[in-house]
Amino acid sequence: MKKALLVLLVSLFIISSFAATTIKVLVWDDALTRAVQSKLKDFEKETGIKVIMELVPSGSVLQKIAVGVSSKNTQYDIVAVDEPYVPSLGDLLEPYDKWSNGNMYKKPDLNVIMKQVFDAAVWKDAIVGLPINGNIYVWMTRRDIIENKEYQKEFKEMYGYDLTVPQTFEQLLDIAKFLKKKGIYGFAPFTKTSEGATCEAMLFFSAYGTIPINLVNGKYVVSLDKERAIEAINMYKKLLEYAPVGANNYGHSERIAAFNQGKVFSMFQWPAIVPDHEDPNKSIVAGKIIYSAPPAGKYQRAAVRGAWVLGIPKASKNKEAAAEFAYWWSSYEAGKELVKVGMTPARVDLLKDSEFQSTHPWFEGIFDSMKYATSRPRIENYAEVSNVIKTNWIAAVTGTMSPEMAVNKMIEELLNVVK
Amino acid sequence: MLLSSKNKKKRGNFPLFFLAPALISVTAVLVFPIAYALGLSFFEWNLMNEANRVFIFFKNYVSVFNDPQFWKSFLLQIGFIFIAIPIELIIGFFVSILMNRKFKGAGVLRSLLLLPVFILPVLSGLTWSFMLQPEYGTINYILSLLGFKQIAWLAYPGTAYTAVILQDIWRMWPFMFIILYAGISGMPKEFEEAATIDGAGFWQRVFYIIIPYLKPTIITAILLRTIDALRIFSEVYVMTGGGPGNSTLLLSLYINKQAFEYFNIGYASAMSIILIVVTLILTIILVRGNIEIDGDKA
Repeated sequence: MKKALLVLLVSLFIISSFAATTIKVLVWDDALTRAVQSKLKDFEKETGIKVIMELVPSGSVLQKIAVGVSSKNTQYDIVAVDEPYVPSLGDLLEPYDKWSNGNMYKKPDLNVIMKQVFDAAVWKDAIVGLPINGNIYVWMTRRDIIENKEYQKEFKEMYGYDLTVPQTFEQLLDIAKFLKKKGIYGFAPFTKTSEGATCEAMLFFSAYGTIPINLVNGKYVVSLDKERAIEAINMYKKLLEYAPVGANNYGHSERIAAFNQGKVFSMFQWPAIVPDHEDPNKSIVAGKIIYSAPPAGKYQRAAVRGAWVLGIPKASKNKEAAAEFAYWWSSYEAGKELVKVGMTPARVDLLKDSEFQSTHPWFEGIFDSMKYATSRPRIENYAEVSNVIKTNWIAAVTGTMSPEMAVNKMIEELLNVVK
Repeated sequence: MLLSSKNKKKRGNFPLFFLAPALISVTAVLVFPIAYALGLSFFEWNLMNEANRVFIFFKNYVSVFNDPQFWKSFLLQIGFIFIAIPIELIIGFFVSILMNRKFKGAGVLRSLLLLPVFILPVLSGLTWSFMLQPEYGTINYILSLLGFKQIAWLAYPGTAYTAVILQDIWRMWPFMFIILYAGISGMPKEFEEAATIDGAGFWQRVFYIIIPYLKPTIITAILLRTIDALRIFSEVYVMTGGGPGNSTLLLSLYINKQAFEYFNIGYASAMSIILIVVTLILTIILVRGNIEIDGDKA
C-alpha cells in the first residue's frame, strides 16, 4: 500500500512539474510526422505537457527555423532538422549530452538507435540532437516481374545469368533493356529541380567512388573526380533511356504514380513514401515489392541518407519538457504504436521487431541500405552546394550539357562556394 | 478659389489630421519595408548566423553586378516581359474590338473571358503543370490527336520557358482586354463611322483611328502589366521551381533563392532594391510618355 502511494505521489509530482508546460514543435509534414501527431494525446495525458505541433512542407522547415530560432530567442522548443542542414544550425542547438535524463521517458541509449543514423546528428564532434527516423534510400524491385517464370527463362537465355534483384547498375541496365520489349520501364529517375536530384547525383557519384566535397584538416576541399563523375552520369543517362516518357522532369508525384500503376520495374524511394506503394487502394503493385540496398556502381553500393534530427534550440525555455517529448517519440513503447500509424523508426529493435517484419517489409531494406549510407556534403552553406550539384547534374543527365562540361562546371562552381 | 490668410489660419492642421491615416499606412506598408530592405542591402548578413551582421556598404551591389546568374535571371525576366506582354496586348486589343460590337450574350461572354485573371497565380501554375504533364496532360493529349509526339514541356530549358510564358499569356491577356475594352467603349462612335464613310478599311481604322485614340490606355495597360511581370513569382515557382537547371530562374525566383534558400539576406535585399529601381525607371519612362501624349491631345 505504502509503495503504491509512493508511486502515485512520484507520478503526480512528475506530472505536476510539467503542468501548464506547453512546448512548440516544428516538424516536416509527411506520413511519419502525421503519425506522431495522431498520438500526441497519449503523450499529453501521460506527462501533462501540452504539445503544439506545427507541420510544414519539408522544404519550408529550414526557412521557419532560420527566422524563428536565434541564439537568444526561439519560437520553438523542438525543431526537426534535415541532416544536410545540421552544419548550418548546429551552433544554435543544445548538445545532446546536455539534455536532461528524462522523467517518464528515459534518454535513449545510443546503442538502440542505428549508428549510421546517429552520424547524421554529429557536428563538430558533438551530437546536436536526437535522430528520429531511419531515413535512407531503399531500393524497390518488382517481385512479380523477377518471379515470372517466362521472363526468368528468356532473360537467362539472353544474358546468361538469373533475373533477380539487380546487384549492380550494369545488371539493372540489362534488365531494363529486356523489360523494354515487355512494355515495362526499367527505372524511374528523380530529375525535377529539387533536392531529390541532388540525392540521385550523390548516390551515383558515391557508387562510382567519388564525392563532391570533402573536409580535410578542417577545410572544405572540392574532391569530385572528373572521370568517375562522368562515368556515373553516363550510367544514369543510359538508365534514363529506359525510364517513362517525361522522365527528364520526374519528381516524387510522377515516380510514385508510375510505380503504383505497374509501369516501372525498380527505383529508389524514401521509407516514409513506401506505405503509399503498399496501399492496395493506391497501388496495383502493393505486396509485390522487394526492398533491398541499392545496386552497386562500378566501385561500391551507396544509399543516400536523409535522417531528420530533433534539436532543442539553446534559447528554449522548456528544454526539459522538450527532451521528454523527444524521448517519448523515440521510445520503444510509443514507437510500437507510432509505427502502426505510419512512423519509420530509427531504433534497431523496432526495425527488427518480428511484429513488423511482415507488415513493414521495407524495414529490412532500410537496415540493408544503412550499411551503405552516404551523406550529402556536410557544409554550412549546403543549399548553395546542393544547387550547384543538382543544376549541373540535371543538365548533364537530360542532355542539355555534355557530362564533361557539366562536371567541369560543377567543380568550378563548387570551388566558388567553398572558397 | 484662393484662401485668405485668415481662412488658412482657421483651417490650421486639419488637412494633415485627415491625411494622417493614409500617410501612416503608406509609411508602414510601403516606405518602411523599402527603407528597411535598403538598409539591409548594405550588410553582409546570413540569417543562420544572426550575430555576424557586417556593414559592407556597397559591396553587395558590386557582387550583384558581378554575379553571372543575376544577369541571366535579369535577361530571362526581360525576355519574358518582351515576349508575353506584346502578345497579351495584341490578343486583348483585338478581342476588345470584337467585344465592342453588340451581339446577343456579349455581357456573359465578356465575364467569361475575364475568368483567367481571377484565378490565383499558384493555382494557374499548378493547373498548367498538370496540363503539360507528358503522359496524362491535356495539351499532349490534344497534340497526340493531331498526330504530334508527346513533349515533356517542363523538362527542357526552351520548352519550359515557353510554357511559363504561355501560362502567363493565358492568365493575363484578359487583363489587357478589360483595360482596352474600357478605353474603346468610351471612343465616340462618330470617329469610326466617319472613317467608314470615307472608305477606310478595317486595318486603316485600327491604325489611324483606334490605336491613336487608345494610346494612353495602351501605355497604361503596358505599364501595369510590366510592373506585374517584374514581380512574377508563384506561378513560375510551382511550374518549374526555376528549372530545369536555372532556365526559368527569373529574377524574383533568384531573389527568393538567395533570401530563403541560401539565407543571404543582405545580398537578396540588394537585388530587390535593384529590381525596385528598374521598375521605377520603367514606370517613369512610361508615365512620361503617357503625359506627353495627354499633352498632345490637350
